[in-house]
Amino acid sequence: MMGQVDRRKFLKGAGCSLALPMLESLSAPSAQAVQGKAERLVCVGTYLGFFQSAFFPERTGPDYEISPVLAPLERYRDRATVLSGLDHRGRNGHGGWKAWMSGSATGSVSMDQVVAAHVGHRTRLDSLQLTCGSPPGEARMSFTKEGVALPMIGRPSVLYRTLFRSVDDNARVGYLLATNRSVLDGVTAEAKALERSVTASDRAKLGEYFSALRSVEKKLQKQTLWLDRPVPRVDYPLPEFDPVAPDLALECESMMYDLMALALTTDTTRVLTFLVPGWSQVFEIDGRKLSAGYHGLSHHGNDPERIADYNLVGIEHTKRFTSFLDKLDVARDEFDRPLLDSSLVVYGSGMGDSNTHDNSNLPTLVVGGGLRHGWHRRFERDGANPKLLGDLYLTLMQRFGMETDRFAGAESNLNEFLV
Amino acid sequence: MRPAIVALVAAVSALPVLANESIPSEIRNFLGVHCVACHSGEQAQAEIRLDIDTGQWTPESTAVWERVHGALAGGLMPPTGAKQPSSAERATAVAWLEQQLAQHARIGGEVPRRLNREEYQNTVRDLFDYPDFVLPEAFPADDSKDGFDNVGEGLILSPPLMAQYLEVATAIADLILPPARGPAVAVSKRYPLATSDFASSGGGLAETGTFRIVSSRNMASTAAWPDRFEAVQSGIYRLSIEARAFETDKMFYERRTEPLRMGIYARPKADQVYDPFGEIRKVAELEVLPGSDATQAFTAEIDLARGETFGIRWENGPAYSDPPRRDYSPTFLADRLKRDRLYYAAMLRYGGGTRGTTQKQVYEATAALMRSGELDLTDPRLDKLPEVWGGGLSNLPHNWIRAFVHEELQRFGPALEVTTVEIEGPLRLIEDRETQIRKARTKRFLGDPVTGATDRERVEAVLRRFLPRAFRRPTSDEEVAAYAELAARRFEADPAARAEDGLHLAVRRALVSPHFLYRGLRAGRMDDFDLASRLSYFLTSAAPDEDLVALARDGSLSKPAVLRRETERLLDDPRNENFVKSFTGQWLSTRLLRGIMPDPRLLRFFDPDREALITETELFFSEILRENHPIETFIDPGFSYRNTNLNKIYGGNLEGREMRRVSFERGGRQGGILSLGSVMMATANGVDTHPVLRGVWLLENVFGTPAPPPPGNVPAIAPDTSGTTSIRDQLVAHRADPSCARCHNHIDPVGLVLENFDPVGRWREHYPVYTKPPDGAEELKKEFYSTIGEGALAGPRIDAAAVMADGTDLEDVTDLKRYVLERIDMFSGCLTRKLMVYATGRPLGFADRAVADRIVASTKARGNGFRDLIIGVVQSDSFRTR
Repeated sequence: MMGQVDRRKFLKGAGCSLALPMLESLSAPSAQAVQGKAERLVCVGTYLGFFQSAFFPERTGPDYEISPVLAPLERYRDRATVLSGLDHRGRNGHGGWKAWMSGSATGSVSMDQVVAAHVGHRTRLDSLQLTCGSPPGEARMSFTKEGVALPMIGRPSVLYRTLFRSVDDNARVGYLLATNRSVLDGVTAEAKALERSVTASDRAKLGEYFSALRSVEKKLQKQTLWLDRPVPRVDYPLPEFDPVAPDLALECESMMYDLMALALTTDTTRVLTFLVPGWSQVFEIDGRKLSAGYHGLSHHGNDPERIADYNLVGIEHTKRFTSFLDKLDVARDEFDRPLLDSSLVVYGSGMGDSNTHDNSNLPTLVVGGGLRHGWHRRFERDGANPKLLGDLYLTLMQRFGMETDRFAGAESNLNEFLV
Repeated sequence: MRPAIVALVAAVSALPVLANESIPSEIRNFLGVHCVACHSGEQAQAEIRLDIDTGQWTPESTAVWERVHGALAGGLMPPTGAKQPSSAERATAVAWLEQQLAQHARIGGEVPRRLNREEYQNTVRDLFDYPDFVLPEAFPADDSKDGFDNVGEGLILSPPLMAQYLEVATAIADLILPPARGPAVAVSKRYPLATSDFASSGGGLAETGTFRIVSSRNMASTAAWPDRFEAVQSGIYRLSIEARAFETDKMFYERRTEPLRMGIYARPKADQVYDPFGEIRKVAELEVLPGSDATQAFTAEIDLARGETFGIRWENGPAYSDPPRRDYSPTFLADRLKRDRLYYAAMLRYGGGTRGTTQKQVYEATAALMRSGELDLTDPRLDKLPEVWGGGLSNLPHNWIRAFVHEELQRFGPALEVTTVEIEGPLRLIEDRETQIRKARTKRFLGDPVTGATDRERVEAVLRRFLPRAFRRPTSDEEVAAYAELAARRFEADPAARAEDGLHLAVRRALVSPHFLYRGLRAGRMDDFDLASRLSYFLTSAAPDEDLVALARDGSLSKPAVLRRETERLLDDPRNENFVKSFTGQWLSTRLLRGIMPDPRLLRFFDPDREALITETELFFSEILRENHPIETFIDPGFSYRNTNLNKIYGGNLEGREMRRVSFERGGRQGGILSLGSVMMATANGVDTHPVLRGVWLLENVFGTPAPPPPGNVPAIAPDTSGTTSIRDQLVAHRADPSCARCHNHIDPVGLVLENFDPVGRWREHYPVYTKPPDGAEELKKEFYSTIGEGALAGPRIDAAAVMADGTDLEDVTDLKRYVLERIDMFSGCLTRKLMVYATGRPLGFADRAVADRIVASTKARGNGFRDLIIGVVQSDSFRTR
């Protein structure tokens, strides 16, 4: 143990820490690694979590038996990895959910936004944040680098309009963009006039104002460029009303997945987060009303009947998730590869054990993205090589070609297991 | 070593400051020996350069000397490890600096202040007469500087914030001056609704496929709302319902003799089923006649706004709630227990099952007990209501009775039974309330139409009114012309564009203009308009109202009598609540409470409890302000504001959620900022207390002598929660190091003396020893809800005694209060300086601090009233100087 630490120190000290991963990849080139980087990221989290023992398979390794909640995913087991024992060592309760993508419950940048900053310029929308209806109070998933929670779209009709805006809407956006330029020119002139007459400390404040204006102008330029490209037209039958009532959350979930697949196949965005919410609604599944509301089921109190019903909801979520994967598997990218092979898809929850509001051992599954899949990996908290959820995120970010080696308290990665 | 020092002194003696004859030689010696080695040259520490000609008292050099004074007077310099001056030498240097600074230091030094989030929101609300305006969630929060989030230096304008300003500006312009749209056409559809589409909380689906509404509780959670319908256009909809009175021979409640009143309500948002809402509208009432099994058909035309849905409520059912409560009425529950002894006995025996037990299970288990013949009907508890023998009707028994009755009514009636529901529409479109309000707002913004005016003239007229309000000062003709030009370009280039579309553009520009976003950004001295803004944002967190602007315009606001009158007016204005919330939230740190999650082993603590603690603090502060109570009241008030939620913090047995004033003896533990639960919770972390944190907080916010930041090379003292080493012993060990002792002699005693307050602000005599593992560990998982809050035992006894740095012995918090009361000017000075930073948005320099001292003295001479103190702050030169 001591020897390993010393060796690492030595390598870092000798300036070899960069060279080491390169050597490794040279000595063991994997077909997947050569195939290239990930291009898209999708993160799906269920607000009320999963029953852990129905999510995590019992056995680890490549021959694990599929768990009840993940059973609908059977056909993807060679292209998916189940990870247990990962979390942020963070705080418990619903409030801790906010830390799922960022590692911090008090607001810091989430992994999807780091990726969006890297790949967002290639598509009209840098990223999209989605949910069903109005999310519960503590349910927040994506955070900007300033630590601000990004609002989520909860209505399919609004998402549809955002993705495939009409000619009229496009014209209005174009008008606003063009006139924003003259608005900014106008206030720049005002600030310049002020600058000539005010004191030095006032000028310093104005400096801030000018640099903020300049960066906003750059953003407007990007939006203007995208405006001229045609908006893709799709044929998707939106319902007469948005199924936003909590009782209809599963219907809404299906629609959101449909539209998410369209967003990716039309290359309108490459980064999506989807928070699957849960309230006290009583679901009806296969013609039977469940024994309690969804939130009540998640506090199952170890009652077998309620656990069974809680798992039924979990299975419904996984079924919908699976048909989303089907769409990505059928679609082809510019090299005629399945879109799924260049898309990293995370499925899990920021809630570990909803019965006790314990946020350790967060259910986590990763699909696609050309990773080395097919295993159930378990990481022991107190084992020789403990891993954090942040280590997974680092591997995912590195798949996008980012040279990031620290995130959410993690400083290593899971490359040895996934790449 | 000696030769090196001599050489250094020789080298630096050539520096101008050391050759400056106007500085006494002993001071020059002091600087030469102790300061210039680090504070000279390009690499000068902390950018304090004493090698330039600081003998001239320019504003820049005065600022440097102010920092030197702060470092020497506060004992921060020379640093630990360097040669220290004797206390006499230090005192001489400090005295000389004070004498010089008293002559040369200037009042003022404002850095322009960007409107912070709250000020921005309030300003927009007033500017556009738009009280419901709420900033989007994605709008960034502000950083604090010098303890407050309205200090110029801390209010950075980041690129994402500018992007948000631009976006919000467009959203506001769209609302005030919406783009022209063609006439809307009603697209009518029929929506047949299945009875299974109705939310079940107000009743339930019967085996017959009908929906039985059983409750006339508050609409928030119990009406029958259909989930497969929402109005896609605002308009008139035709609702068709078939319903009947469902009654059987097995009913507990009487047959209905009056018609069953079926209320139809509209709710604002189809997707927020779990929000309590006050905005529901009753849109129709239909009468279902009892005494017949036949269904009766009804139609009603109802108006629904876009996004609304409708719900059905049984207005006069047997199960009811008291307005505005959401739960069943205690009268109704008591009635059932009084009239139904068998049920009462069964309820007591069964309880309500475990958490998550369904309504059906509660009913069947209770009914089985009622049939069993095993119940003891002689139990004396059955003669009285639960609250008499201590069971209470408020929580669990309430839920058990509700579940039982609800199911019983659903099975046997009486119930309002709905067989079919269909809604069709919109038959024709209507302007919903929101649209009407928006149109009225637009009309007010545009003002009265001037006949015969050109578009350009109309636009100029609007801008001449709007721009001075937006910029909070008169605008020149050139400024108006520049905005009018921008607007005119829009409608002169595009024949389809209207004057409104031009103004849309002008509004967007005004809302990102530096004149709107900043205050204090202007050349020259502070004038009456600046004063109006400063006063208004200080006391209301909002832009000056018309009265203030009028006084600024005629130049009378700066007259002391007028300024005093306006200060009093704003202190009495309802918007003064903004000041109370913002100032207490920051000075007393109650804003931190929303981020603290108390350890469940200590206390089950919920949002209403948190809000009650915050409200207590605000009401307490408000009373002192309103009644002009003496400053001493903050320390030992003899009163506070409490409600039932706060029983769990302070003990007591208050009932009801509304806050009310409670009085107690002065001189005791209770009351005042040194005992408030909010402050005690904010200065801990919800899990354990830390005397150093509380000590540092008190020095900063009560004593006004902030401790310097801890040195970077020292690890924090972590409390030993196993209870083997007391925090007291740890701190004693820490203070054995003289370099730690210098600050910790001040910090530790004031923190230790508050150790009787636990991390949630309750009084305690013992440290807790946890018998259960922290949340998340195995043992708690089994029966989470039954062990929560009960996981702690009394551990070692708390010894809160402490010796202050000046040798005063304190036994507990009552002594600390006495200590502060005996030094009330110290506290008063601290509070005054906090108010001045909040009011002026700048850190206080030497001269501003001297002004604070004068305010403290003159307020004391007039009885030390807090309101007088605030008036003194406003009248001061510091407040009236940029």
